[in-house]
Amino acid sequence: MSVLKKLSQMFSGSGAKEQEAGEAVSGAKSQASQGSFAEEPPVRRRVIQASVIMAEAEESGPSDKILIKAEPSRDYEQCKFMVNRPLFEGHSWLFSSFEEAAGSPIAESVFSVESVATLLIHESTAVVTKTGAKGVADWETLAREVGGALRKTLESGTDLISKDIVAKIPAEEVVKEEIQKVIDTEVNPGVAGHGGNITLTAISGNTVTILMGGGCQGCSAADLTLKQGIHGAFRKAVPYVGAIYDETDHAGGLNPYYR
Amino acid sequence: MPKLNRFTIEIETGETGTELPVHFTINNHKMPLDDPQGGVGPAETFSGGFEIGSFVHSLTLVGPESGQWDVRKLKVNYDCEHTPPYSVTFDAITLDETTEVNIWQDPPLPTWDV
Repeated sequence: MSVLKKLSQMFSGSGAKEQEAGEAVSGAKSQASQGSFAEEPPVRRRVIQASVIMAEAEESGPSDKILIKAEPSRDYEQCKFMVNRPLFEGHSWLFSSFEEAAGSPIAESVFSVESVATLLIHESTAVVTKTGAKGVADWETLAREVGGALRKTLESGTDLISKDIVAKIPAEEVVKEEIQKVIDTEVNPGVAGHGGNITLTAISGNTVTILMGGGCQGCSAADLTLKQGIHGAFRKAVPYVGAIYDETDHAGGLNPYYR
Repeated sequence: MPKLNRFTIEIETGETGTELPVHFTINNHKMPLDDPQGGVGPAETFSGGFEIGSFVHSLTLVGPESGQWDVRKLKVNYDCEHTPPYSVTFDAITLDETTEVNIWQDPPLPTWDV
């Protein structure tokens, strides 16, 4: 029986079932004969997360061959390439245009593939975005071409990232201090109007991890705030910042996005 | 987000059990599980499921009305449209009257060698 049918039966059926379907928390007790204003509001249950016990990972083991796996994201906006070789150990870098790829052989080869929009290199992964992808099929050919470009560069044995870029990245403490300054002076004052706040949770090299709290946690516009607001503010003020990750659990807590 | 045709759930209870029925929420609507088998007492195993036929924003297992419920392990089997069936096993968790646990996991992303 479908949910719609079941709900329909509940609402047209007995009062007990009707109450069951409608109540957010079954533990809430009504105060009889006190009028509707005296009723206790139902207590919202907090959504918690249980760890997922991972299925046994495919054991590829060390290999002399360069192995590359492609994994498009759920919205097909980007595709992650996981390589069994380091691409940029300890650091990350975003190449946001063909021009920025100049001097970095790995980026030059990836940008030689038509319709690549951006490239993010972090440790042993490369994340490529392209415009207008609407399904897995849009990535099949492109992913093979990008994989081929990555493999060719790796086989050449050349330095993958420009020495200028490596020289630009300051010590972790400096990155931390500057990102924290942007959070305190720009980002948090901006999101405070919506009851939100951003916390810097980790810096690894020039890779930043944040947590969205308050009104931002569980907000359906959090992704927009992250990509168009926070990323922009970080990259403008701290141009050598690499990957930016959000570790917020937007489906948990008292205010998940679907409520 | 995929359309979930049906899901089944297998629950192993730990030291502290609870009472039937077992409820879940789909997109914030609370429902009892269909086809209940077994129990949710200490060390008991329970299974149930539901024919959803709808798009999933959220899917949770609801904690007991009162007291605690030690869930030792949870296995959820999903049958989604346009996706091969898949299963996810969740680790131990303790639920009570103020909590519910997320039991929704998106289908695994497709990956291939390039």
